[in-house]
Amino acid sequence: MGVRDDQKAATREKVLEAARDLFNDVGYDETTIRAIAERAGVSVGSVFTTFASKAEVLSHVMNHRLTELYAEFDRVVPFLRGSTADRLCSIFAIHYEFETRRVKLFLAHVASSYNPNNDPGVTPYGRNPRLNQMLLDVLAEGVRKGEVRAELDLQLVVDTLKAAYAWNYRMAAAAGGTLPAAEMSAVMDKQIAVIAEGWKPR
Amino acid sequence: MSFVSVNIESATDSPVKLTRRALAKQRTRERVLAAARRLFSERGYEGATIRDIAQAAGMSTGAVFASFADKSELFEEILTADYEVIYAQMTQASRNAKTVDEALLGLFAVAYGFHVEQLPLLRASIAVSWTRSEAAERRARTDLKHIFRLIGDALQRGVDEGQLKKDIDAKLLAEITWDVYVANYRRAVYDGWSVEALLARLSEQLKVIFAGARA
Repeated sequence: MGVRDDQKAATREKVLEAARDLFNDVGYDETTIRAIAERAGVSVGSVFTTFASKAEVLSHVMNHRLTELYAEFDRVVPFLRGSTADRLCSIFAIHYEFETRRVKLFLAHVASSYNPNNDPGVTPYGRNPRLNQMLLDVLAEGVRKGEVRAELDLQLVVDTLKAAYAWNYRMAAAAGGTLPAAEMSAVMDKQIAVIAEGWKPR
Repeated sequence: MSFVSVNIESATDSPVKLTRRALAKQRTRERVLAAARRLFSERGYEGATIRDIAQAAGMSTGAVFASFADKSELFEEILTADYEVIYAQMTQASRNAKTVDEALLGLFAVAYGFHVEQLPLLRASIAVSWTRSEAAERRARTDLKHIFRLIGDALQRGVDEGQLKKDIDAKLLAEITWDVYVANYRRAVYDGWSVEALLARLSEQLKVIFAGARA
């Protein structure tokens, strides 16, 4: 990488960090590109040469975070113990723990995925193949171990789990953003138990 | 089925006899609501300002504020009016059904049918629901409570008629059902799913959710 590329990467890093903090502390709608540039110590122009819009900045902030999270998962998943349901509970608990560190950022990400006029450079919430694959893998192993009915459409189960997972954040939204991760995990555990009751071989 | 909400078009005549002043006020509200509905649909909640709405309605910003305290009140009034239109039909669909699945699919079919027709407004309302004020959240919960009662009633009938086990956690089942119902709108938004496709998916999801609860 040349000096220019180094500089560009450094600017990008600074912008993403500043945006992450402002979106979470001040709010996504309330944060302007100008404010992000100011906090990052770069010019407004250089933000726009890196990102097409605020929505794209948010998308990259989240992507950056998810890379960290899934690196953590790569280390943890092989060591998860217990039944299929237990493993799923652990996976979701880790997600809640991670996202509640900056819950307003996460809520803004979900909200913006429903906003019209999303740029093509934006990966909206809910289109994360990593989580989907991880859940499918756990369920497939459950089938191999005879805990989960073989004829079940696993993607359908995954969709149901993901819907419950995402909508539990409504509890955090309703509480104005301050809700311990454990409260959401506790509800999720119960929801997983209900669904697990249905996937048992009979 | 007719889905004409009270504020989609301005009413032509009113059954109640109003004074000229009250009538003028009502007409202003209706004009504002119709303009706001259009702009929220086109630009989303954040993208439509009170100034734009006033301009589209052909009046001053002040005149808008004389009828509505702020943008969120205006938006809520539109959603509440829509909700009132579909609630009665959801109730009917649920009560006419013979099984739990039929009841749930029936009531959500009404909602999907209504909202898919005006997807941009639905997108805006879901987006807002994630970041709205606590007061707005409380008001929205009142509407939701009615829907949850409908779902709860359907589940209770399922228990009474021996379709579901007696010891089910009805509240939890209702919540998961609601979660998948709402989450499926993403398929309409991103993948252009039709009402029929959404219902087919929901029907499969209900089988997953209720597999352990069947008597």
